[in-house]
Amino acid sequence: MFLKVQLPWNVIIPAENLDAKGLLLQRSIIIRLLEDFAARKATKDLGYYLAVTTLESIGEGRVRQQTGDVMFPVVFSGITFKLYRGEILEGVVHKVLKHGVFLRCGPVENIYLSHLKMPGYSYMPGENPMFNDKVSRIEKDIVVRFIVIGTKWLEAEREFQALVSLEGHYLGPVS
Amino acid sequence: MEKGGKGFSLPTKTARKSSLKSTTAKQASLKGKDDSSAKSKRAMKVQFDIEGSLGGKFETLPPKDSSKWGKGDKTAKGGKGSVSKPPPPLELKIEQELPENVKCMMDCEAADILQGIQDQMTILSKDPEFKLPPSFDRGLLYAKRVDHYTSPPSVRQVLQTLKKYGVSDGEMCVIANACPELVDEVFALVPSLKNKRSKLSEPLKDVLGELAKLKKSTSLESQMKSADAGNPGNVGGLGVVD
Repeated sequence: MFLKVQLPWNVIIPAENLDAKGLLLQRSIIIRLLEDFAARKATKDLGYYLAVTTLESIGEGRVRQQTGDVMFPVVFSGITFKLYRGEILEGVVHKVLKHGVFLRCGPVENIYLSHLKMPGYSYMPGENPMFNDKVSRIEKDIVVRFIVIGTKWLEAEREFQALVSLEGHYLGPVS
Repeated sequence: MEKGGKGFSLPTKTARKSSLKSTTAKQASLKGKDDSSAKSKRAMKVQFDIEGSLGGKFETLPPKDSSKWGKGDKTAKGGKGSVSKPPPPLELKIEQELPENVKCMMDCEAADILQGIQDQMTILSKDPEFKLPPSFDRGLLYAKRVDHYTSPPSVRQVLQTLKKYGVSDGEMCVIANACPELVDEVFALVPSLKNKRSKLSEPLKDVLGELAKLKKSTSLESQMKSADAGNPGNVGGLGVVD
C-alpha cells in the first residue's frame, strides 16, 4: 500500500555551501534532503521511499561544533510503499520454479507464491514453465492478484520479502 | 533469593529481567504451557521457518493451516504443541501498524502525485545534483498499472460515505485499489468488514455503482472483453477459488 508520511529530518549543510543566502540556501537544503532521502532507500517502519512531495518547514540552523556544518531540522511529506499482511495486491510473475513463483509488486522484487498456496494449480515444466488449472495459467509476465500472508524486512539489503497466497475468492490471474 | 543454576522453575511473580528467565519462559511456551504473566512482560516473536526458496523466517501465520484463511499474530505461540485457541483471521489491520503521521493512500492518489513528479522531470533533471529515490520508477509503474480511476478526489469522496459505518481508512483504500464490482467481492477481499455486513451491504452497492462511473474506460473495455469470453466463474478474468 502507498503511504503518505510526514517526517522530521535533520539536513546537514557543509560549511562551504553556506555562502548562499535565501533561495540558494533553501535549494541546498532541498537538494541535500532529496539526496539523503534517496540514499535511505527503505525502512522497516515505512517501507520503500518513493518521493518527497512537500517541504513543510525549515527550522533554525544549528552549527555543529566539530565540523562547522550547519544542521537544519526540517519537516517534509513524502510517499512510501509497504506491504501489509492481509492486504490485497497485484503482482507480475518474473520467475517460475517447480514449487512456486516469484512476483514483483512495485519496488518489492521478491514476493513468493508457493504452489501450496495456489489451490487447483499444477506445475507444467517446459521451455516456458507455468502453473495452470482448468481455466487459467500462471506464467512469466502474468499479473496475479494475491493476499499477503507474511512479510520480512532484510536489514542488510534494506528490502522486503513477502509470502503471498491465492487461497480465497477473487484471487488469481488477472486478465 | 533464586539464582541461576539452582534449577529452572516456571517464572515466579517477582519480575526478574534476566536472560535465564527469558529462556525459561521460552521453553515454557514451546512446551505449550501458557504462562501469560511471563509473556506479557516481553513481546516474544516466535517466527516460523517457511518451506520454499526464500528460507529464513517471516512474520506470518502457522504453516499447518494452509487450507483455511491463515491466522497469525506477532505474539503467536510456537507451532508445536501449543494450546489451540482459534488463531486470528488473515485480515488487514493496518491502522494498528501505522506509525504516527502516516496515512494510507489509494493507488490512484499515489499514481496522480508520482506522475506529477515524473512530468516535471525534464525541469528537475536539469539540476545535476537532483536525485530521485531508486524505487521511484518501480513505484510509478506499479501505481499507473493499478490506477483504475479518472478522478482520485472523487473516489475518496465516494468512499468517505462509508466512514459513518465504521469503515477505516485502510479498508477504504483496499476497496478502492481492488476495484470490486460486486458487494460479495468486497467482503471476500476485506474480511474485516464481514461483521458489519448487514448495515454495509446497501451502502456498498451504492458506492460500487458510483465507483464504476469513475473507472477509466480501458479497464471497462477489458472487463467487457472477459465477460464476452464467456467465463461465468470469473469476475474480470480472476480465478474464483472455492
